[in-house]
Amino acid sequence: MNKNYSADVVVIGAGVNGSLLATRLAKAGKSVLLLESGPKVGRDQLVECFRASAFKSDFMSPYPFSPMAPQPRYTPEPNDYLHQAGPHPFAAQYIRIFGGTSWHWAAQLWRFVPNDFRQHSQYGVGKDWPIGYEDLEDYYYQAETIAGVGGSPDNGSPRSKPYPMERVPASWLQQRVTARLAPDFTVLDDSTGRNSRSFDGRPACCGNNNCMPVCPIDAQYHGGIAAQQAENSGVKVITEAVAYQLEHDAQGRITAANYYDWNKVSHRVTAETFVLAANAIETPKLLLMSTSSTFPQGIANARDNVGRNLCDHPAIGVTFDVDEEIWPGRGPVSPCSIGQFRDGDFRREHAPFRIDISNASQVASVTKEVLAEGYFGKKLQEEIRFRAARRLSIKNALEQLPDPNNRVTLSGNKDALGLPTPSLYWDINDYVVKGTEKTRECYDAIAARLGATNVKHSKSGKFSNRQHITGTLSMGRDPATSVTDAWGRAHDHENLFMVGTGVMPTVGTCNVTLTAMALALRTADKILQETQHG
Amino acid sequence: MVKYWKLLLAAGALIVAAAQAYAADQHALIKRGEYLAIAGDCGACHTEEGKAPFSGGHAIASPLGTIFSTNITPSKSAGIGNYSEAQFAAALRKGVRGDGSQLYPAMPYTAYARLTDDDVAALYAYFMHGVQPVDVKPEVTALPFPFNLRFSMAAWNLLFADSNVYQPDAKQTAQWNRGAYLVQGLTHCSTCHTPRNLLMAEQQAKILQGASLGTWYAPDITAATLQSKPRWTRQMLADYLATGHAANGATAGGPMLEAIDKSFSRMTPEDRQAIAAYLLPVDVEAAAPAAVKGLTPVAGNDLPQTLAGLSEGERVYRDSCASCHNLSGQGLNGLPALQHHPVLNKPTADNVAMAVLQGVWPEKEQGMIGFAGSLSDSQIAAVTNYVMQDMGHSAVRITPERVKALRAGGETSPLMLLSRVGMALAAVAAVLALLWLRKKRAARR
Repeated sequence: MNKNYSADVVVIGAGVNGSLLATRLAKAGKSVLLLESGPKVGRDQLVECFRASAFKSDFMSPYPFSPMAPQPRYTPEPNDYLHQAGPHPFAAQYIRIFGGTSWHWAAQLWRFVPNDFRQHSQYGVGKDWPIGYEDLEDYYYQAETIAGVGGSPDNGSPRSKPYPMERVPASWLQQRVTARLAPDFTVLDDSTGRNSRSFDGRPACCGNNNCMPVCPIDAQYHGGIAAQQAENSGVKVITEAVAYQLEHDAQGRITAANYYDWNKVSHRVTAETFVLAANAIETPKLLLMSTSSTFPQGIANARDNVGRNLCDHPAIGVTFDVDEEIWPGRGPVSPCSIGQFRDGDFRREHAPFRIDISNASQVASVTKEVLAEGYFGKKLQEEIRFRAARRLSIKNALEQLPDPNNRVTLSGNKDALGLPTPSLYWDINDYVVKGTEKTRECYDAIAARLGATNVKHSKSGKFSNRQHITGTLSMGRDPATSVTDAWGRAHDHENLFMVGTGVMPTVGTCNVTLTAMALALRTADKILQETQHG
Repeated sequence: MVKYWKLLLAAGALIVAAAQAYAADQHALIKRGEYLAIAGDCGACHTEEGKAPFSGGHAIASPLGTIFSTNITPSKSAGIGNYSEAQFAAALRKGVRGDGSQLYPAMPYTAYARLTDDDVAALYAYFMHGVQPVDVKPEVTALPFPFNLRFSMAAWNLLFADSNVYQPDAKQTAQWNRGAYLVQGLTHCSTCHTPRNLLMAEQQAKILQGASLGTWYAPDITAATLQSKPRWTRQMLADYLATGHAANGATAGGPMLEAIDKSFSRMTPEDRQAIAAYLLPVDVEAAAPAAVKGLTPVAGNDLPQTLAGLSEGERVYRDSCASCHNLSGQGLNGLPALQHHPVLNKPTADNVAMAVLQGVWPEKEQGMIGFAGSLSDSQIAAVTNYVMQDMGHSAVRITPERVKALRAGGETSPLMLLSRVGMALAAVAAVLALLWLRKKRAARR
């Protein structure tokens, strides 16, 4: 039986951004239908999956996989859901379940710095946004209030109101590293949606050190909470609903979305307004699949911009053993960072970056290392204890400039429902490479100040992904170089909006979720304002 | 002439001094009243979170329906600003409002009746002069028929209310008497801890022997029980009232935690000790609990085959509870242990299930998340029974049906049914009587 629903607004994708937008629309009296390609899974089931998993350090492993809504997996072997077409693999991780990818994260909720929005006019590189920091400041605060964000106030992002949440107390590692790196390096509390007191029916962080892959007590905000709030606010949710085709009328207005349930029965839903919130890879995929005689290249893609300008924070890392016991593994996994290289005139020359100091338990990684070195018996235990107490792991987030050649397209492969899987092309230019050289200088200086031994830099020329996927649905003033306008509306389709990190034209030097949340709330207000008279 | 001036000056100084002394006395009286209002926990019902202190409107779920607390600020239009001290005393001790109508005994006037005249005067001074008037009337209580007839409470008072002021027991210490005065009066412990009869009055023969509030269970706090397993000492009781936890493993939840946060923790240590001394006339040394030292070893087997063999209760426990309470309930890094927790030693498992449903939310310190939105009645029953049995070694169990009732806010009072049946019977009797009269008349004709 196919069910054909109709609503004021259909939202595709029940991640944090789609859910926030859906909640706001529903609370304003709109009928909202929220489609999610994956299933609804409770925190308890995820905790059980995590405990039973052989791959504890793979943050995807607790999240149930289905060929009906496949997600990229990398252990024990990559499942090749994402076809890699470029010189550097873009090893994206995202979760297709109710609540989306922010189920596994460190709840980093950062604001951009003001110059991120005017990068081109300020530094002559990259792009300017169609909006400025001041347009988003109040929405940043709204999003922070929903998530309960706290952090160091003087981090380069001006605030009109104090953080709504007090900071989580600093772990021993954070205290020691902060003290020993001062004054050359200023270690700041990260800006995070993590409770330091009871808030919103959720308790304070009690230091399970398991933020990734899943916080077992919901001390940190995540998309599962946002999605549940959407449902509690009256949003009609359909899970295991894989959208595959948008329909339009002669004027280019979107009229319907078609989706498959997991038995491959097709359903058609209609609405006045459509919002795509299916992440920066899956939303372009849906647009590219939705071809018609009028739009042979797909919806919102008349000028071939959908999927282009794919960005992440390419990252390089370093590990070493500090000359004192710092005991990573108590408190949040990612509590502090160095922000002094996020902005400055050097951005004309090389990529800015933030340096993130991990507080995640190192027991598993040093055990693997020590076993490989041939230790056994009592000596093995001693060596694990020695290194686990001293190991510091640091990585960065380099800003990559938007490049239209870096892009999402459709691969020739098909998933179990017969839908094409994504293909990614990703290259990294000199701007980033120069930034890595600066980063390494910092890493060596930090290691020296901490009396480091056993220093291991990540392999030169290799970059890991930070999963801050942006650019593929870029907002901009000029339809020739962007997909959406300053409100996230498709240039070519009056009633089609997009939210999520894909609409961000640049990636900045901080985790991107808060900016996407602020933009989603702003888009929700725009939809309400435009449809009030209807 | 000079003398005359001197005299006048002296008199003036005296008047100023007297006025100052009066002001100082009045200030002290208001301060004392403020403390007594904390001890009486007036704010628990009369202050709604986010609203002005004592402006009322707090919804109190009673088995007969929702009762809304009144505005007791000194507002003349919306509060008690027109009350004389006598009217104030009558409301406090007899449950009679300024207009002569009856209060519902949601207001613990049966306990406040013990208050001395001096304390009533201090409370009056505080509520008249220490509280900001708020001219907003809260929602009006509308209980269903027949409880909307407030005069019915007059009959109830005749039957059940004891309006005698506390009489010190000369054979006991001053501390014991202070404790008795607080427990019986201001802190109104028996309001929750004494079971009620069918007409919702406290059963004097079972004073402080434990009662269900419909959802949470207020345990037996008589000395005999406090001295048995798990053992309480006076110090533990005082600590518990100050912080919500005690060395015997107890942690407060539900309405008791609220009373601790809002009232007991803000009282003086001497008053908490007095309460403990009254509740435990004979203090018994308790063996110090075994302190857990060093790192907690990681234990357990998470292989899928093992997980498949778990009972539903143990499975839910591992997935939802063990991250904080540890695999066998031994607690973790200051988070409460469930092994030997006094809550597992109660004649009912309601409080365990209530904590699982609603969570536990102290004003300060670590909260516990509630699972009403994520676990089913049968899952909550299963995990409650698992904790009761495997960690508490208790034979007490809970059914999914009971969890369902707790989730819904408890079972409604049988009083409602009884009174409605009573009213219906009365109506039937009246109709029968009328018919009988008519027949009689018809027969006469």
